[in-house]
Amino acid sequence: MRQKVAWLLLAPNLGLLFFAMLGPLALLARISLKGYESGHGIVETWQLSNYSKFLFDPFYREVLWGTLLLGAEVTVVCLVLGFPLAHALSQSRGWKRSTLYFCILMPLLTSTVVRTFGWMILLANNGFINRTLTALHFIHAPLRLMYNRTGVVIALAEVLLPFMVLALDTALLNISTSIYEAARNLGASSVRIFLRITLPLSLPGIVSGCVLVFTGALSAFVTPTLIAGARVKVMSTLIYQQAMMLLDWPFGAAVAFIMLVTILLLFGASMRLSEQRREA
Amino acid sequence: MKRALWLLNGLVLLYLLAPIIVVIATSFGTTAYPVFPPQGFTLKWFVNFWSTPELRESLRISAAISTTSTTLATVIGTFSALALARTRLRGKTVLSAVLLSPILFPAIVLALALLIAFQRVGLAQTFPGLVLAHVLLTTPFVVRLVMASAAEFDPSLEEAAQNLGAGWWRIFARITLPLILPGILAGAVFAFIMSFDELVVTLLLSGPALQTLPIRIFNYVQYSSDPTISAISTCLIVAWLIVGIPAYARLMSVRHQGGA
Repeated sequence: MRQKVAWLLLAPNLGLLFFAMLGPLALLARISLKGYESGHGIVETWQLSNYSKFLFDPFYREVLWGTLLLGAEVTVVCLVLGFPLAHALSQSRGWKRSTLYFCILMPLLTSTVVRTFGWMILLANNGFINRTLTALHFIHAPLRLMYNRTGVVIALAEVLLPFMVLALDTALLNISTSIYEAARNLGASSVRIFLRITLPLSLPGIVSGCVLVFTGALSAFVTPTLIAGARVKVMSTLIYQQAMMLLDWPFGAAVAFIMLVTILLLFGASMRLSEQRREA
Repeated sequence: MKRALWLLNGLVLLYLLAPIIVVIATSFGTTAYPVFPPQGFTLKWFVNFWSTPELRESLRISAAISTTSTTLATVIGTFSALALARTRLRGKTVLSAVLLSPILFPAIVLALALLIAFQRVGLAQTFPGLVLAHVLLTTPFVVRLVMASAAEFDPSLEEAAQNLGAGWWRIFARITLPLILPGILAGAVFAFIMSFDELVVTLLLSGPALQTLPIRIFNYVQYSSDPTISAISTCLIVAWLIVGIPAYARLMSVRHQGGA
């Protein structure tokens, strides 16, 4: 095919990206530099006050910090629970692998709203978890699992766990079995094999899985809204509240850009990290 | 040690599947609000879903948006994938990264950007506006899946046909299209599911007249608890399992090849 044909085929998609992504993002950037007066709406001046408001007000800094902390907690939970599962998945063959794979894909195919709804039923004060623990006499008063961070971490880690498992599975499958055989023949214990071979060689998968889960947790909107309501404010719910309830689009846009920059920095850092490892 | 690991993995799997099990189970319970484990057995919540006019209307709106946007995304994405996979274009890596970029942005950021832009041109709270947003969000999946199919097959097949005197249309219809069809179908299925389940962007762009099914569920569960929501969810889970598993398995194998 000639070049001209190729560009003709690409034209609709590039047009789509230009009009429905690049243009809107440029407008978002522009509006984040505008002022806002309640009652009057957007004020046509150029200013950086939306950004300084976010960065110098302890309340908003707390929201950013809380979101990053939530992301870190969810990532740790996913890594700790996902590694053994991914290891088992990468080691199994035939119907066992298919069954495990199916169990991990099924949550991915179920929408986040539906899965979060399931967690609401489980985590409520008179929900399954609290009733079971009370019946077993482990607790006397119900644990508060809804409308706080604990509940959000439990549900969000479940929502994002499949991404971690699949990323780790890819990395673990890339480790050649002959390395394991060689180590075993040389008399290495299974703990030593895990620490000296499995862990270092699966590091690219760990990094990409963690980046996927961390960015997913940072941008999560549905799960924090439904599990925590207004009690736990994260970046995405702050953007929604500013833009849709207070109608302060300039400030909402500024928060959106701060979130975008945070995520891009994370992507950049993880790419630097994996490049350095490749050179080493 | 080995037994302990299997036990741990079993518990992790249970954690992973717990909300799905709960949602399906509660859709058959007789109590007026979802209780797990469910009591009794009834199908009345499924009947309720089907006989509530506003829920049926939402189902219709969701289906209309998804069908329209999937058709457009499949055509646009297939064109792009063909251009990238079957031609010697310079800067291919950059181009494919650009085409896949919409899935990198947090949904809430794109949603606000689209709302601000669409408000200016009168597309906010309209059907075409929602379709356009969904096309943007789903096209990358079609591009990725079709590109993988197109990269798999041997270009000498097309050259042979050309040497035998076949025109470009004949080559496309008789050789290229049949070979990339599995990728196109998987991409379309994927785009449909993604579009049908999309909530954040739709929430900001849809007005009161365009309440899709996910928005309806989102609003219901915030303020009330009704097993009808479990019934709707069960329908969606079953439907996506049937059509989605083959498409997903394909996407994962694509990702695996890309990672190797």
